[in-house]
Amino acid sequence: MAGEKLETVAVEHKPEEKPQINSLGEFWNFFKDELKPRGNTSTAFNVLSGVAIAAGLIIILIRFFAGLGYPVTNLNQSFPWGLWMGFFVMCGVAFAGGGYVLAFIVYILGLKKYRPVLRVALLNALIAYILCSAVIIIAFGRSWNLPNVFIGNEFGAASVMFVVGWLFLLYLLTSALKFSPAFAEWIGNMKLRKTVGSLFLGAVAFGITLSILHQAGLGALMSMAKGKIHPFWYTELLPVMFFLSSIFAGLSMVIFIGTISRKVFSSQLDDEHRLPDDDIVLGLARICGGVIFAYFALSIIISRFEGDFALLNSAMGYWWLLEMIGFVAVPGLMFIHGAQKKNPVTVRAAAVIALAGIVLNRYNTVFLAYNWNLPFAEKYYPSFMEGIVTLAIISIHIWIFRWIVNRMPVLRKSPQWAVKLDKEQ
Amino acid sequence: MSKKILFVLISVIYIILIASGLTLVYSVGNPEPARQVLTAEDNKISIARTEIFGKLQRPQVIFDHKKHEEAYKQEGCVTCHPMNENKEIVFTFPKKIEGEGATAVMKAFHDECIECHKKEKKGPVTCNNCHIKDLANVEVDIPRAAFDFADHNKHVKIMSKFGKDDCGQCHHTFDLQEQKLIKRHGSEESCASCHDLDRKKGPQLAAITKVAAEKGLSTRRVSHQGCLNCHVEYQQKYRQMNKEDVHEIHQEKMGCNDCHVSGFKQAVSCSECHVPTECSKCHTGKYRTVAELKNTPRPHRGQNDIAFIDIENSSMKGVPFNHRAHQANTGSCRLCHHETLQACKECHSLTGKPEGNGINIANAYHRVQSEQSCAGCHNKITSEKECAGCHYYISGMDVETMNPKKNTCAVCHSGRKDQSSMPKPLSTPAVREEIEINVLARDYKAAKFPHRDIIDNLVMISNSSRLATYFHRDIQTLCRGCHHQSNSAAEMRIPQCRNCHMVADDRMNLNRTKLLSAYHRQCLGCHEKMEMTQARKCLECHEASAGGAAEIVQFRNESVVKQNTTTMLNVWRPK
Amino acid sequence: MDRRTFLKIMGTGVASATAGNLLAPGRSEAGERLDGKEFYGILVDTTRCIGCRLCEKACAEVNGLPVPDISESANQTVLESVRHTTDKQYTVTNKYETTKGTVFVPKRCMHCNHPGCVSSCPVNAMKKRPTGHVTWDSNCIGCRLCMVSCPFDIPKFEYDKAIPNIQKCNLCWDRFNQGVLPACVEVCPTQALMAGTRRQILDEGKRRISGAPDRYIDHIFGEYEAGGTSHIYLSEVPFDQIGFRKDMGTKPYPEYSAGYLRAVPVIATLTPLLMLGIGVAVRMGREKQIEKHEEKQDAKGKH
Repeated sequence: MAGEKLETVAVEHKPEEKPQINSLGEFWNFFKDELKPRGNTSTAFNVLSGVAIAAGLIIILIRFFAGLGYPVTNLNQSFPWGLWMGFFVMCGVAFAGGGYVLAFIVYILGLKKYRPVLRVALLNALIAYILCSAVIIIAFGRSWNLPNVFIGNEFGAASVMFVVGWLFLLYLLTSALKFSPAFAEWIGNMKLRKTVGSLFLGAVAFGITLSILHQAGLGALMSMAKGKIHPFWYTELLPVMFFLSSIFAGLSMVIFIGTISRKVFSSQLDDEHRLPDDDIVLGLARICGGVIFAYFALSIIISRFEGDFALLNSAMGYWWLLEMIGFVAVPGLMFIHGAQKKNPVTVRAAAVIALAGIVLNRYNTVFLAYNWNLPFAEKYYPSFMEGIVTLAIISIHIWIFRWIVNRMPVLRKSPQWAVKLDKEQ
Repeated sequence: MSKKILFVLISVIYIILIASGLTLVYSVGNPEPARQVLTAEDNKISIARTEIFGKLQRPQVIFDHKKHEEAYKQEGCVTCHPMNENKEIVFTFPKKIEGEGATAVMKAFHDECIECHKKEKKGPVTCNNCHIKDLANVEVDIPRAAFDFADHNKHVKIMSKFGKDDCGQCHHTFDLQEQKLIKRHGSEESCASCHDLDRKKGPQLAAITKVAAEKGLSTRRVSHQGCLNCHVEYQQKYRQMNKEDVHEIHQEKMGCNDCHVSGFKQAVSCSECHVPTECSKCHTGKYRTVAELKNTPRPHRGQNDIAFIDIENSSMKGVPFNHRAHQANTGSCRLCHHETLQACKECHSLTGKPEGNGINIANAYHRVQSEQSCAGCHNKITSEKECAGCHYYISGMDVETMNPKKNTCAVCHSGRKDQSSMPKPLSTPAVREEIEINVLARDYKAAKFPHRDIIDNLVMISNSSRLATYFHRDIQTLCRGCHHQSNSAAEMRIPQCRNCHMVADDRMNLNRTKLLSAYHRQCLGCHEKMEMTQARKCLECHEASAGGAAEIVQFRNESVVKQNTTTMLNVWRPK
Repeated sequence: MDRRTFLKIMGTGVASATAGNLLAPGRSEAGERLDGKEFYGILVDTTRCIGCRLCEKACAEVNGLPVPDISESANQTVLESVRHTTDKQYTVTNKYETTKGTVFVPKRCMHCNHPGCVSSCPVNAMKKRPTGHVTWDSNCIGCRLCMVSCPFDIPKFEYDKAIPNIQKCNLCWDRFNQGVLPACVEVCPTQALMAGTRRQILDEGKRRISGAPDRYIDHIFGEYEAGGTSHIYLSEVPFDQIGFRKDMGTKPYPEYSAGYLRAVPVIATLTPLLMLGIGVAVRMGREKQIEKHEEKQDAKGKH
């Protein structure tokens, strides 16, 4: 309403803290304060993940001196991409897809009932992309040249990696922009909140465009490996498959994070966010089920066995059937069944299996069904150090996620003044 | 079931599936174990019939023929094999197939095998005991049985001893008018002429082969039927012979242990030496060479020692063809008489006719790619290792050769009815003994080349072969093996390689190799084709340079070298 | 929706369309003739190769790599197994037992006409030079997408170095610029390797085949495979017996990713409009529903 002076008192969970940060100096003090951990610092989880992070950082340091080969990774000349690229770039980006899918559902389709999970998804996407960038710096051999992708005069413009790189960077910025309202609410800066709030819708549209393109782009990265990827996993429609799978991967991740957050961050949840959880999960299940069905149908139609059951009756055939039936069809059916019978437990289980299926599919494309007919001595399997670094990065992800959720309005509604600002728009 | 247990159970199942899946995935690409191969000695037969069944649903059956043979020694082959209307055993199985198609064949096999096993209470009756999975990849490799001139000669001798010296005992032909087998003395052919169903025949034989094909009478079938029936008959006759008579016949030529191999209660079967009936006795895999058959008499078929080949209305003089010498140099008449034993011109006319598949007489004699033509066979002989050193690189003589020289054709086309005398053997001319090639010394010192020894060797090889002596009438033919573009009419002396082959690459004429490779391909090529064991490696021809391994090339790739020698942080060495 | 939001979305769409068209494939593709220069290549005649490995030694010497031992005794053991090129050996010679006897085949980068590695390099570190040489440059980011994209699995990465390069044959690019032949061609004693323009060596290959049809199979590997390569091979036996893939096809490998790249500007332009359209349609639909509902309420209320 015009003319009315707004209250600048934020309705926070902890009413004694009312930040109104207006300068960088104030922010720095506030931030230092907030860095102090809340709650018990020596839980089992903290200890284990702390050890993993420490070990991971040491290994990363070693990697920069010793190179990417043995003993840091098991990569070899026949398998250039392994666990790091396979998990963080191929799977991690797909898991972060919840951000754009939910943004589409809430802001384009206008289904406000999913709003409570939107910020979680956006936060997860942001952290995932930031850490994925870190992994890229670690996993690429000559990362000091990475700026060459964005600045300079030597652009490999016909490269899928170039396109994906640009889209990735732009999406990272867009993601930050989409999450910045929560940040602005946390520091209580109205002007910032107003600015980013007005850009939000544009960022949503931009983000969806970028997401569709770079989720598909991950598939297009492998498009020239025809003949090296087993026919069951290689198709010229790989970009389409990766895009479809990113939809239900992202939503499954949202369901999975929601399941865990309910228990772990219950102190942060307010009624608006806690109560409709099951309802949201069932709604997402319906969407996931539908998309998985389309993905499954497309996989079967374009699979290359062409009725030659002898090809199915081989090691790789069985592996493909396991992936298709056990990790795509079964969770799909579970999603639909759970949505019909209004059973959120089935849906949550289906989400876990679907996530495993995504990991399986992308691992196959990158190193399991890639150069599949080399003898075992030449094959790649992740090394111990690669595993430690992966755990370390995941732990860092969880730590950052936890830090932000415990402070910023992610699992609870925005303060009143912010809601009023949005209504004015 | 409580939810927790259900979750745990499902997770465990998934983990097991993934683990076993990964094991499978990581074992793809590992080399397969070697296939087991059974030979004729094992006397086993592979029953697969993939031509009827296509891709097999169950593994092949490895059938122990020897075991069955010994079990039914008394009853004989007719226990399993059918007889035809002439009371001959037809060595096919199953005895009777009711109906058509793969199912009928399978049923017949099962009926006859399993029924007998059930009756005798011996032998496998269940699926997996015959279709053994472990034997699915076993290969049964039985070599083709050869019936060469020596075998034919032996049979002719034996049969005339028994008073059966007309060729009609084995040879017959099919009269298309009467639609029956007849014996026509003087026109006996090889079994393969009519019974080789895989080879395309001319119009004359095609009609007969068609009849044979309709009755399923392939060479394999008729040779077993024709040979084994006679052998089995005589084997039984021998078995019924008097012990004293047997001893009397054999005692003088052989020792006791030759027959009584394992004690005196038993003796080896007569078919160990006579009328063989065991697979491995005929399918030996050993074939007599042409040299071993050189003195074996060839079958009489009314051939002349020297045939004067003179084609009517042709423009070339006739060729006195030494048939006697040529037949002693082949292992089979069919090498030249590829269809029937008639003369070439019966089917191949000047312009070509259907009987000869359109091939005219000139091509029939001169086609270099053929195996039956004169030029083709001679060309093939020059690919043997004694000749291939030079002849691999010389294109074969062909009737389409450009610029045919008079003296090339006149070697054969003499126009004289009698065999012109063989030319004199060659002798080494006065040439340099050793030649030093030092034009390209870089990593290696000069090569010393034993010129005269090589020519001596070539002369010796040429003189030891009638064919070579016939064609190498002039020592120049040998010189041209290496001095390949030499034209003595225009030259003062034989040119050196470097006269035509430049040291550097000839960018304009990619066809003409640089001097280094001219030497190496000429020398090494000859040595490789002649399958020499020496003079194949670098150091055998030239010593290494005194300075050690010199840099082969100058002008490095500077930017690459810089990349490769910049000090890197090279902490960890690869394992 | 107000004018400002609409303009923002349109602006985004136009920006993405422009960016997309700049990214369109085909701009960085190397065609058969670029800038009036011809491609150079090497004709590899496997009937002439004797497996002496002088090419490996010469290549190592000119590129500052560890020089392999090519003595007779070393060759005996080394040639027993089929080797790949490595980050320290740009070319290897392999021995194959075939139906026509022993065949030696030198293996190295094929310098394709339309290389997958060049097309897949995001920073143009892999370049297809106008003269056909495919070279690696040090602005590489080490992403190893070139290794994934090469159908011949040629680029090799220096995993054991802190500053790793991608190593592969570059057809002696530096030597070429000094007017000298590639090192391997210069030392080959039997001229199994012959250098020239691609047209010249194709002609020479065809001439050899037609001149001795019983000595070569009637196919030049690399004439059309993977869109054509600059290293072309002649052989006496079918190529799958000497380690070549039979299923390569003639489509240049960059074409496989062209579908996605062409779709990018289209999707980038259309998606914002689509989002706009859907959003407006949904909102209008919902407003209509609310109106209808209110009308119903009004109607009920009146009675």
